[in-house]
Amino acid sequence: MLETTVTVSNRLGLHARAAAKLVQAVQPLEAQVMLVSGTREVNAKSIMGVMMLAAGLGTPLTVRADGPDENRAITTVTDLFERKFDEGG
Amino acid sequence: MRQVLTGTVGARGMTLGRARRIQTTNMRIDTTPLADNEVDAELTRLHDALESVRAELLALRDKLQGSMAREATEFVDAHNMLLSDPDLLRGLDGMIRDEHMRAGAALKAQRDRLVSVFEAMDDPYIRGRSEDIDQVIGRVQAVLTRESSNEERKLAARVGEILVTETVAPGDLASLAGRGLLGVVTVTGSTYSHSAILARNLNLPMLISVGNALTDVRDNDLVLLDAEAGELIVHPAAQDLARYRRWQRDASREGKRLAALANAPTRTLDGVDIRLYANGEQPNDLAMARSHGASGIGLYRSEFLFLQQNGLPSEDEQFSAYRNLVLGMGGLPVTIRTLDLGADKAGNAGLVVANEENPALGVRGIRLSLRNPVIFATQLRAIARAASYGPVRILVPMITQADELEAVHTLIDRCLRDLRNEGEDPPDSIPVGIMIEVPAAALSVRTLLKQADFLALGTNDLAQYVLAADRNNNALGKLYSPMQPALLRLIHSVITAATRAGKQVCLCGEMGGDPLFTPLLLALGLTDFSMHPRQLLTIRDRIAGLDRTRLRHLAPRILRASSREEVEAILRHVAV
Repeated sequence: MLETTVTVSNRLGLHARAAAKLVQAVQPLEAQVMLVSGTREVNAKSIMGVMMLAAGLGTPLTVRADGPDENRAITTVTDLFERKFDEGG
Repeated sequence: MRQVLTGTVGARGMTLGRARRIQTTNMRIDTTPLADNEVDAELTRLHDALESVRAELLALRDKLQGSMAREATEFVDAHNMLLSDPDLLRGLDGMIRDEHMRAGAALKAQRDRLVSVFEAMDDPYIRGRSEDIDQVIGRVQAVLTRESSNEERKLAARVGEILVTETVAPGDLASLAGRGLLGVVTVTGSTYSHSAILARNLNLPMLISVGNALTDVRDNDLVLLDAEAGELIVHPAAQDLARYRRWQRDASREGKRLAALANAPTRTLDGVDIRLYANGEQPNDLAMARSHGASGIGLYRSEFLFLQQNGLPSEDEQFSAYRNLVLGMGGLPVTIRTLDLGADKAGNAGLVVANEENPALGVRGIRLSLRNPVIFATQLRAIARAASYGPVRILVPMITQADELEAVHTLIDRCLRDLRNEGEDPPDSIPVGIMIEVPAAALSVRTLLKQADFLALGTNDLAQYVLAADRNNNALGKLYSPMQPALLRLIHSVITAATRAGKQVCLCGEMGGDPLFTPLLLALGLTDFSMHPRQLLTIRDRIAGLDRTRLRHLAPRILRASSREEVEAILRHVAV
């Protein structure tokens, strides 16, 4: 199992569009990918789960991946966050 | 008896019509436990229902046309994502298998759990998503209770009706609006709902949170939906109707002034004639194109025929559609664009295509047609046969380099020859034009002009490819702008090259029908526009107030501009 922390830094936070992007990026992976914010833990492959986090700008999130391609899962997620979901700001 | 119900304005406007109630929530959920031997069948029932709603949503998405597709596809896709969501599906099987709950009861338990989480959210937009969950689960429940949601849609599809319902999903709303629905009233809902956003984009009056709408309104009641004041007036009295007429008069004063322009020539202030064509596929579009004085059809998107029937139309089916188009335009030229599909949609049109990671940059448009020569030849033959009934032009999408156009010419020549040998009477030749939407084609336009009879500037795609920006990606909003100097320089060079070669160049992207860009396009030298027929009068009116000579003098400054803002500033002086 791998774990890392990312910060939501795109302008709108994890709104529907960004949430959809994240879900589509991790869905094909085998690993189970969870996002943890405070006491709430959600499945990153679920659009509802991710939206329920409703994480706003500056919120730190823990990403936890477990499975054969857990390395790829972590880079996929951190990449998206670093690129600010390609939302340009 | 006059009665006033109040609600919240979802989308502004006013309309008068007959009420059509659709009650979706009266579903009785069977809570009796399953017997041991019923469990397997119940699991199958649930998964069949999920599958059939998935298919229903995909079909709905493919049926959306034109502006409806642009506005609503994303929302329908969101519902499809919800339907396959592991959080939504998780536990359903368990409830049926271990707790012996029926599918409907399991879905309801799941719905209640999820909605309660969403409703506790601080963010009003996220809170509004509980409505999407309700709508998706509602669809599955409807299939389970065999209360086909298709039936409901048909019921409300009558022209002149105002829908009164608990809640309406964006895909259904788009489909109803396309069939003449006047307005919509919902019992629940939020101004953040996708349906409300859609209604605003479609100018469809919508009133939400009208608590007693379903109990106080009966089918066929005359209702005045006043989504300016936030009222639904059942059995409106004389004073209400007078207020409605006043509102209509104000709203249509603008429309009427424009209607008087229908048969006026399109001419600039300094007397230059401009040609306006219509983009259109459906009978309504053609009727409007003619009544609003279009010079012809500038863009008929033939994939419409393919997607409409979810399969390959035969030569005769295509011929009959194209001939109706030609006859419908009564001698005005009709430009038929050959199949313009990519891997993302070609499957729905009955073509066999490989999945692609990036369909926007893959086998699409002419690339797809040339790889399917039999299908392409069928289309070309149908067009050639229709061409004996009136002026027809062929427009080829997604041309990148000259050899593609050569191949098209060879195929057309062969079709014409074959038809003559079969005793048909096609014209000696058919004008062939190309879409300029790939930057490479725009940059090599002089080479392509040697073999093209006319050009069509597809600015929607051209802008996406030049700016490497998806126009549906709102986050890129400012980047994707028709005012980007790089794009304008390219458009200008294409217009100049075509004009020098003595060939027509018509702009058929969305900017052609947007009065905001009319001065800019005249400045760049454009004289042929193609647009949604609804925009014809607005653009004609706009052109009548513009001095082309003066605008042309601005071109060098526009082309030197270093930013979108600078272009806007230069044009601000002329925009009245």
